[in-house]
Amino acid sequence: MDGKTQPTTSELIIMIAGAVMLVASFLDFRFNASTWGSGNFPIATLLPLYGVIMAAQIALAKFANVSLPDQVAGFTWEQVHLALGLLAGLMAVGWLLTDVGDKQIGLWLEMLGGVALAVGAVMMQRERHTGAIR
Amino acid sequence: MNQTKLSPANIVILAAGILMLIGSFLAFYEFSFALAGATHTESISTWSSGLFGIATTIVICGVIMGGQVALNAFGSNVSIPDKVLGFSWDQIHLALGFQAALMMIAFLVTSRAGLSLGVGFWLMLVAGIGLLVGAIMRVAGAKSNPFTAI
Repeated sequence: MDGKTQPTTSELIIMIAGAVMLVASFLDFRFNASTWGSGNFPIATLLPLYGVIMAAQIALAKFANVSLPDQVAGFTWEQVHLALGLLAGLMAVGWLLTDVGDKQIGLWLEMLGGVALAVGAVMMQRERHTGAIR
Repeated sequence: MNQTKLSPANIVILAAGILMLIGSFLAFYEFSFALAGATHTESISTWSSGLFGIATTIVICGVIMGGQVALNAFGSNVSIPDKVLGFSWDQIHLALGFQAALMMIAFLVTSRAGLSLGVGFWLMLVAGIGLLVGAIMRVAGAKSNPFTAI
């Protein structure tokens, strides 16, 4: 990733989604508790965690010029983003379908963030011409 | 049946996928309550209200992994693409296995108030870890023998 260029649309989406999800993780998710609260941690915390990992990788590579390994466990960074983004989207749909009684503001923001991560990760494949999405 | 494709890694994934599916219909959480002087025990599975949705995503991971292995090994005239969204099947297994194991461990350590863990949960936990182990075995096997990778 070129650290001197401006963030692309997909990178912005992922960074904004990650930041929103981090903030939302401290808001009420369900049972009047945040994702860090009793009964929610860590199952509900996975969603913001994925967002933070994705956003942090982009921010580190873009703004801090941190040298990261080219691959992680055999995955390129684009593949890591696509895998985490799609899994976050899957969890977002999962929480949407789950009857938790009162879905609170944190849960709605996490769901939106999860979908945004999936969208951003898919857009990233096109922007970087990985060939994953035709 | 194409037995040459059923490597130990694929057997682990197939068995774990079946175990995951069976476990999903059994008691995930159990709770007891007193009614008319007698203690009753109720249970909910991953398909019950309150768990359906988020817990079901774990089952989906197992079914996709087990299904791909089963189709590849037993499906006649079934053509599965070598890559999906740029991922090889080894990578898909690794990602889904990681997700399944991570979510089951997360459910294990999540505070449950008055709920206790049922047999379905334990089966799914073992299955989730099995899926990850099988996926790692696939990747390790592919590195040592590239001709059995898919």
